[in-house]
Amino acid sequence: MVESTVKNQRNLFQRFNLEVRDHMLAWQQAVLIFGGLLLGLFLSALMLVVAGVGVSDLLNEFIISIFTSSRNINAVLLLSAPLVIVGLSAAIGFKARFWNIGIEGQVIFGAIGATLIANYDIGPDGFRVLLMGLVAALFGMAWIALPMVLRLKLQVNEIISTLLLNYIAFNFLLHLLFGSWKDPITSFPNSKIYDQFERLPKLAGLDFNVSILLALALVIIFVWVLAVSRFGFVLKFVYSNSKMAKSIGINVGVLVACAALASGALSGIAGFTISASIDSRLTQSFFVGYGFLGILIGFLARNNPLLVVLFSVMMAILMVAGQTLQVFYQIPFSMIQLIQATIVICVAASEFFIHHRIRLVK
Amino acid sequence: MDFFVNWVSVVPQFAVPFALATLGLIICERSGVLNLGAEGFMLVGAMIGAGATLVTGSPHLSLVLAALSAGTLSLLFGFLVITLRVNQVISGLTMVFFAQGFTTLVSTKMNWTNKAFEGIGKIDFGPLADIPLVGRLLFDQDIVVYITILIFIVVAFAFERTEQGLRIRAVGENPEAADAAGVSVVMNRYFAVFIGCMLVGLAGAYMSVVVSKIWVDGMSGGRGWIAIALVIFARWRFWPALAGAALFGCVEALIPRIAAVGLQVPQYFVLMLPYVATLTVMVWASLGKNSSGAPGALGKPFVREERN
Repeated sequence: MVESTVKNQRNLFQRFNLEVRDHMLAWQQAVLIFGGLLLGLFLSALMLVVAGVGVSDLLNEFIISIFTSSRNINAVLLLSAPLVIVGLSAAIGFKARFWNIGIEGQVIFGAIGATLIANYDIGPDGFRVLLMGLVAALFGMAWIALPMVLRLKLQVNEIISTLLLNYIAFNFLLHLLFGSWKDPITSFPNSKIYDQFERLPKLAGLDFNVSILLALALVIIFVWVLAVSRFGFVLKFVYSNSKMAKSIGINVGVLVACAALASGALSGIAGFTISASIDSRLTQSFFVGYGFLGILIGFLARNNPLLVVLFSVMMAILMVAGQTLQVFYQIPFSMIQLIQATIVICVAASEFFIHHRIRLVK
Repeated sequence: MDFFVNWVSVVPQFAVPFALATLGLIICERSGVLNLGAEGFMLVGAMIGAGATLVTGSPHLSLVLAALSAGTLSLLFGFLVITLRVNQVISGLTMVFFAQGFTTLVSTKMNWTNKAFEGIGKIDFGPLADIPLVGRLLFDQDIVVYITILIFIVVAFAFERTEQGLRIRAVGENPEAADAAGVSVVMNRYFAVFIGCMLVGLAGAYMSVVVSKIWVDGMSGGRGWIAIALVIFARWRFWPALAGAALFGCVEALIPRIAAVGLQVPQYFVLMLPYVATLTVMVWASLGKNSSGAPGALGKPFVREERN
């Protein structure tokens, strides 16, 4: 059975004892989290039924029609790619105890960087996409640099500084889209459409976009950096005890800075992925939701890159099914956001049972 | 001079949401609960305030209902962070995400979005408003402005001078000691979260019911986050928080003025002002004294007898 030290805790109700567990086997944790997930899905289904979707339609829209239609599978993969990347971005921040809540701002700046290259036709056509991706990563890094420096030099809380920069980035985006980057043909507030070679292509002979492979490649790099490289090893040390790490001569500041910059770069790449594979241009609202979802996916996956992929696909399925519900059942898309939040709340609640045990006192 | 009077006289209505939200957050955080969900509670307050006004026709009653609904949602937040001891940062962010979905969904379904209504007007003090310079600032405001001042006095008194205030401060500073003295950490934290979030909800309702007299999706526009920064800026004290709110009221009130006097500044850069100002005051606050003034147990869940 589970090792646990009994630390008696008198709860609100005197009949129950609340004990803190030290350790729980991995499979037991997985069962509990899966239980939380099921509860979240059950509550979500309940909300949809109350909103007027039939029980049999639920199964049909969320499972059968997703996996039997290649169009829907492609849509899920297309949405999953940027979600995986923002999930990794949040996870690398968490690993250094740096709360990057500014993913949305970095997504915006990444896409602005990519669009800059596309708009002014910088670099040879053949390498355009590659250059756009690199510049996006740099712009994402640049946008996290200020909160990172403020946190390391002045102990300014990065949760708030990164978040405030989201609003500044958004207003800058509108400044561009309603100003000099307005579509020259239609005068709509979005950038002019990317040329064919400025988009992430579909895979030759196959129907799906290369973006999911980009995301998976980043997952592999992430796994390598954290599990194999020296950086990952030291990061683990800093995560579990940064004072101890400092006292044996590890430069904690540099390490946190590297992790924060990596987080910004990943978010920037996610912005490039969205604009180069989904919209093929910069729009006013392309980034909406990715910030929170990235953080929630990173949290749900407990910073595990493989679980990031799993939860990203789950969120993407919800979003694709949500679009169908919107069209055929007049369910507002905000229902999907509510469902995603409900699932996170349930999984977070299930963690209570990983850390505690309730026992009836005889 | 006209520019100055016109500007200053509208400052209170921009300052009140910051003041109420910051006050609510301070109550919450002085009990040891970090509340990053402010933006969400504001949205709920704003949406329910507008919806209740449209349904009941009474904007005053709606302010109360809005505060109560934000308080009700805060019990879910409290359950997560106090009873289940879930990470407070994640829980707060989830509440914002939840509230964004919830308010948009409900207002769309109920058809409350973008519907203008009567709202609450200004109190007529007659000739007093004609006093030069300060007349309009002091005597051309709505009732909530005056109530806000009253709430500040009551809360500051309750916190410093009553036993309940002492209990909340104790569970936020040193929950182990409070617990040993027989003060319930759990109940006092729930109480502080409930009262605090009601004020944050009221801040949101003020924006929809009194200022804009309409509900628009996501109308709090980051003010909840600015309030969180103001708490740090005020070092968790009430009167500096009111001063900070007034400062940010000035900044926000400046935005429509800049366009009105015909200054040629790009519009979206002007709209960045509150956020840039917030960053600036956060840096300024970090340069000051060594201690931040944060409650001792802020952000830490309470677990009795953690040692073996």
